This record gives sequence, C-alpha cells and structure tokens, in this order.
Amino acid sequence: MGKILALHSYKGGTGKTLLSINLATTYVKRGKNICLLDLDFRAPSLQAVFKTNDAQYWLNDYLNGVCEINKVLIDVTQKHGKSGKFLVGLANPTTEGIREMSAKDRKWEMRALGRLLSLKASLLNDLNLDNVIFDTSPGLQYSSINAIVSADIVLVVTSLDASDIAGTQRMTRELYDLFDKKTGILMNKVPAEILSSKKEKEKFYKHFNNVHNLPILETIPCFCDLLRAGGTYIFTEEKPEHPFTKILDKLATKIEHF
Amino acid sequence: MTVYRRLEGKPTRILEKIKESLDRLNEKMDVMIEIQRHGQRESQTIPDVLDVMTLLSLPDHLRKTAVTLCKLGHATADEVAEQTKRARAVESGYLNQLVLMGYVKKERKGRKAYFYVEKEAEG
Repeated sequence: MGKILALHSYKGGTGKTLLSINLATTYVKRGKNICLLDLDFRAPSLQAVFKTNDAQYWLNDYLNGVCEINKVLIDVTQKHGKSGKFLVGLANPTTEGIREMSAKDRKWEMRALGRLLSLKASLLNDLNLDNVIFDTSPGLQYSSINAIVSADIVLVVTSLDASDIAGTQRMTRELYDLFDKKTGILMNKVPAEILSSKKEKEKFYKHFNNVHNLPILETIPCFCDLLRAGGTYIFTEEKPEHPFTKILDKLATKIEHF
Repeated sequence: MTVYRRLEGKPTRILEKIKESLDRLNEKMDVMIEIQRHGQRESQTIPDVLDVMTLLSLPDHLRKTAVTLCKLGHATADEVAEQTKRARAVESGYLNQLVLMGYVKKERKGRKAYFYVEKEAEG
C-alpha cells in the first residue's frame, strides 16, 4: 500500500511547496501514480504553479463535506505526467476562500480531520495511487496538525536559521513524537561551502542529527538557478541534469526505503 | 377546650413556622432542579470536541486510542486493540474513559458495544 507524505516546517518560506512539487514530479517521472494536495489554506500556491483553471471544486469544498475528493482532483498527467499518473488538488486561493477557512470552529476542524483521514482509503486504495503528498501550512495550526495526523511520513523542511532550528526541535518533542510519526529532516538552502568536502559534510550531518534527534534525510544546497526560475516552471521537469534534480532523485529513493 | 387553646396558641405558631420553612426549602429545591436541568442541557448541546488540539493534550495512552478511533470512525474495543496491538480489556477501559470525558460516544448493537467520535449524519 502507498504512503501519505506530509511536508511541514516550523517557519514559512523554508521551501515546502518547491520540494513538494519537485518530489511529486520526480516520482511521476519514475512511473509512479502521484497525488499532490495543497493543504496550505492560508497561502495556496499550486494553482499558480500548475496554471490551471480546471478546478470545479477546491479542497476546501471537500473538507466542508460539499463534494467527494474525485471532484477536486485535476489530472495534469498530459502536461506533466509522461510516465506516471499525476493528480493535483488545489486550495481556494481567493481572499474570501482564505478568510472562510481561517474562521472555522473546533467542531469543523474535528470533521476535517475525519475527512483527511479517510483520504488514505479513497486515494491509496480506491484510486490505486502510489503516494499522496501533502503540502501543508507552516507552524502549529489546525490545518497542518490535521495533515500530520493523517500522514504516514512527515518530512520537516528546515533552514539553518536559529529560530527555525529551535522551533523544529520544539515541534519534534511536542508534535511529531506525540503522534508517533515517522519523521525525517530535509535541510534546505544550505550554503554550498558547508558541504564542500566529504569531511565537512559528515561533520554537518553528525551535528544536525544530534540537534534534531531525527534522521537528516537530505541536505539541499542553496541554488541561485532555483531562485532565478522563481517558480515559473517545475525545475526537475525542465532541468533533468541539474544537481537539484539529482538530489531530489536521491531523496525520492531514500523516502521509499524510509 | 384545653386542647383547642393549645392548638390556637404556641403549637399553631410552631406549625406555621414549619410551613414557612418547608416553603423556603421548596423554593430552594426548585432553583436547584432548574440549575441541574440547565446544566444538563448545556452539556448536551456543547459536547467536548476531539480535535487535534484535544488529542495533543491527552495523556499518551489515551491519545493512541483516540487517534486510532478517529482513523476507524466507528469501532469495537476489539477492532481498536487490533490496531494498537494492546489488550482488548485495556482498550475497552481507555475507550470508556474517553466516553466519560465526553470525547467519544458509545452505542450497543446486540451484544457488541461500538465507539465513535461523531456520526456522519449528526449536525
């Protein structure tokens, strides 16, 4: 049976969305059937990336109990799939949609958790998908904790920022551990010179394995090319020979064996 | 005559005093009954909600049971125990504790007791 992966972080801007999209396309390139869901209801981004107006229903509607998940999913296989099936579910990016989601009460959040938990059966069993990837909101809030509880594996994206590291440590103790989640760290935007030699790299891994008390699944250097692309295209699709694409490929394999 | 005088005198005042006390007691009882009724109504309309923040606040042993029940939706203690790999009697105890805390509901169907967080059809 496939797995649900949730990409989460303590702070915003760590690269969750970029890594979610590129991890999804890496798996699709390998012939896997993948579903990528935008669960960041405060700052939805996937519509801008996939440039689609095909959404009849949003994930907001699914969580509201207005429709079933198949009405939300958009098949982007023709444009982005090639080998495997590629489905995406979008969050409503309008100001009204964001405002409506931020005003939900506890009872609604409890029902939303039930709807998210039932995705395991409806996506992995019924639609026969290999992986579902949740792109979540940062920090400790209802939508991201609901996503974490519903996921099989949590991938925590962190930077070298001291407050981000401290927040990630706190979330590990007070969130991931409490729900017994299989959790791995992705260290993103690491200055290339820190990873210049094998010895330096080993030292870096040893240090951060201790700091987070969790396995560091991958360190992803800071790439100016990624910044230049500015999210206007999917990097691993357009640049198959780029070191970032190679790293994502390595990461995809590590996650499969995690 | 003597008996009549006795009833008209002190003993009548005593009976009146007893009646006054009983009336006051009745008033207090009515207030208490009303408070109790109101309290019950309140607890019925605003049940405790088993959302993720509540899950985080539960002790570890109950959290595991509660998360498993959230995943299963509607389950017996046997079905929860199968997932958590703990003894059925242990899970039954934890589930009943969650029922007492107001987070979980319980219903009987024949000889089996089913636990659930919320029915799909409910409000």
